[in-house]
Amino acid sequence: MFKHLLTSLYIALSLLCTLSFNAQAKQVPDSYQFPLHNAFEASIAGTPSVLRPMLPDDATIRQHDYSLRLRPEREYSLPSNFWPVKTFRYRLAQQAGPAPLIFIIAGTGAHYSSSTMEYLKKLFYGAGFHVAQISSPTAYDFMVGASPYATPGYSPQDALDLYAVMRAIKKQQHKLEVTEWHLTGYSLGGLQAAFVSHLDEQEQSFNFKRVLLLNPPVNLYTSINNLNRLVHTQVVSANETRTFYQLMLDKLSLYFNKKGRFDFSEAVLFDLQNSSQKLNPNELAMLIGSAFRFMAADINFTSDLINRRGMITPPQKKIYDGTNLTPFFKAALLCDFECYIHKQLLPLWRVHFKHQTSLVDPAPNADLDSLIQASSLYALADYLSHQEKIGVMHNADDIILGSGDIGFLKRHFAQRLTLYPYGGHLGNLDYRDNAADILEFFHE
Amino acid sequence: MSNARLLRPCWAASLLLLALSQPSWAENIDADGFKNPLQHLEFSPQQEQYEFERSTLEALHISDPLEQWNRRVYHFNYRFDQWVFLPIVHGYTKVTPHFLRKGVSNFFSHLGEISTLANSLLQLKGHRAMETTARIFFNTVFGVAGVWDPATKMGLVKNSEDFGQTLGYYGVPHGPYLMLPLLGPSNLRDTGGIAADYTLEFSVNWLNVAKESERHPEIFVLKTVDQRYITKLRYGQLNSPFEYEKIRYAYTKARELKIAE
Repeated sequence: MFKHLLTSLYIALSLLCTLSFNAQAKQVPDSYQFPLHNAFEASIAGTPSVLRPMLPDDATIRQHDYSLRLRPEREYSLPSNFWPVKTFRYRLAQQAGPAPLIFIIAGTGAHYSSSTMEYLKKLFYGAGFHVAQISSPTAYDFMVGASPYATPGYSPQDALDLYAVMRAIKKQQHKLEVTEWHLTGYSLGGLQAAFVSHLDEQEQSFNFKRVLLLNPPVNLYTSINNLNRLVHTQVVSANETRTFYQLMLDKLSLYFNKKGRFDFSEAVLFDLQNSSQKLNPNELAMLIGSAFRFMAADINFTSDLINRRGMITPPQKKIYDGTNLTPFFKAALLCDFECYIHKQLLPLWRVHFKHQTSLVDPAPNADLDSLIQASSLYALADYLSHQEKIGVMHNADDIILGSGDIGFLKRHFAQRLTLYPYGGHLGNLDYRDNAADILEFFHE
Repeated sequence: MSNARLLRPCWAASLLLLALSQPSWAENIDADGFKNPLQHLEFSPQQEQYEFERSTLEALHISDPLEQWNRRVYHFNYRFDQWVFLPIVHGYTKVTPHFLRKGVSNFFSHLGEISTLANSLLQLKGHRAMETTARIFFNTVFGVAGVWDPATKMGLVKNSEDFGQTLGYYGVPHGPYLMLPLLGPSNLRDTGGIAADYTLEFSVNWLNVAKESERHPEIFVLKTVDQRYITKLRYGQLNSPFEYEKIRYAYTKARELKIAE
C-alpha cells in the first residue's frame, strides 16, 4: 500500500518535472524513430539512406561556383603556397524565376561543397529556394580569401566577415530575383548565423525573414573542450605496438577480406558496425576527435602564416610552390583548439577587441572568460529570447553540448526550440522527419 | 513541520525507487533532458593521452624523396583540371544524354576487365578470375561488346585488379610516392604497373580497340574524357593547406587495403 502510494507519488513528481521542462520546447512526436541511439555512431554515420528524404538530382539543379575578389586588407602579402584559395569562391543554385534565397553557413572547417552543405542545398532547392552556400569562417578558403584577421573564433568578427561576403554575393547576383532572404547554418555555422542575424538588425541589408540554427554550440568553450577530450579516449591497450590508425586500417582490411572485395561507399559504415569488426564508442569518439584535430591543424597553420606570428612557420621562412610543408603540418597538429585559443585567438582579441568590453576584472582568466562569453550564444540571450524569427534544432545527446546548455536553449527559445531525443552531432540532419521540420520552419 | 519530517523518508525511498526502476537514470540524464553522451567513454590515464599525436606523426612518414617535383606536378594537375579537364567533362555532360555516357563508361570498363582477369590469374585468385571471365563473356555477347552491363544485374560484381596490385601481392614495396602528370597520385610500383597493364591491353587488342585507337586517336580522347568523368577526385576538395599530404596518405593506404583483400 505504502509502496503503491510512493510509486504514484514518484510518477506524479517525475511527470511534473518533465512537464515543467518540456512545456517550453516544441514537442517531438513519439513517432520519431531515428534508429541510431549511440551518439557517436550517429555523428559519424548519419542517417541510413532508406530513411532520408527525397531530394532533387544534381543534374536538375541550375548551379554554379562563383569567384569573388575580396582582397581582405592585411599587414603582410599572402605567401605563395596559398595559391589555390586566393580568390574566394561560393556556390549558388538558382531557381528559374523569382524565389526566396537562403544562405547556408558551413560547420567548423567545412567547405561550401561539403556533403552536409550539398544535402541542405538539395533540400532547400527542392522546396523552391535559391541557395547560396558559404564556407565556414574557420575553413581554409574563407580564412585566406575573405577574412582580414584570418583568426576565427571570435563570433562578432566572424559575423562581420560573413556579412561582408553575403553583401558581396548580393551585389554580384544583383540580377537574381529574390523575394525574401533567409539564413541557416549548422554546428559552428549555426552559432554564427545567430550573430549574423543580430548584426543584420542594425545593418538591414537583408532583413532575414527566418533564421534557423542547426545543432549550434551554446558555449563555444564547452564544445571545444568536449572535442579535445575525444582524442583522449582509451583506444589502444598498453602493450599494443600498432597505432590507432593502424588498428582501424587492420579492422577495415579484415572486414573487406571477409566481404571479399574492396568497395568504399557510405553503406560500408553501417555494414561495418553490424560486423565482427564493429568499432566501439571509444574508437568512434577518437575518430571524431581526430577529424577535429586535423581541422585545428589547418586553422593553426593558416592563421599563423597569414599573420606571420612565427608559432608554426618561422617568420622569415620563404615558402614556394615546392616547399615541403610536412614539418609545419606536424607542428600544427600538436596544437589543439584550446592551444589555438591561447596562442593565437586570445592575443589577437586583446589587441583588437578587448577595449570593446568594459572589463575591469583582474581575475587571471578574465580575458578568456569574456572572449568565451562574447563568442557564445550567451552574448545574444536577450535578442534570442525576443526575436520570433529565429529557431533552433538540437539533439539531447549532441556531443558538443555540456550540462546546462539545453536548459539555456529552453529558456531563451521556448517553443522555437525543437529538441530531438537522438542524433548525436548532426547525425539526424538528413533523417526525413528532421528534413520535414526544417522546411516547415521556413514555410510557417 | 511534521509533514516535512514525514516526507523526508518518502523522498529517500522515492529516490531509491527511481534508481531501481529506471535503469536509464544510471545514465545520468540532466533535468533539462541532456543525455551527457561523453559519460559512456573511457578515457586514458593522463600520461597515455598522446595516442592521437603518436598515430598521426607516424602516419606522416611516407617515402617521398621527389616531394619538390611532386608538389609542382600537383599544382600543374590542379590547374589543368580546373582550366582544361573539368570544362571538357562539363561540356561532355552537357551534349550527351546520360545513357550514352553510361554506355561509354561500360564499354571502356569492359576493356579493362582483360587486365583484371590477367592479374587475378597472376595472383592465383581463381574465384575472381572465373567471375571476371563470366563477366567478359556475358557482357560481350548480351551487352553488345560491353556497352551494357547485364553481368552486374546477374549478380556478377565487377572486380578490379591491376599489375601494381599483383606486384604488391608478391611483396614488392610501393617505393617512392609519385604525382604523375594528368594521371594523379601514384608510386613507383604502381607506375610500373600502369605501364605493364597498358602493354598487355595493347598486345591482347580486345575487340580491336587498342589497334583502332592508333588510327583513330579520338577513341583515346574519349577514353580519357570518360576516365575523368567517372573519377570523383577534385583537387581542392579537401580544402586544406595540407591537401597534398592527405592525398598522399589516403592513396598509399587505399592501395594497401586493395592489395590485402
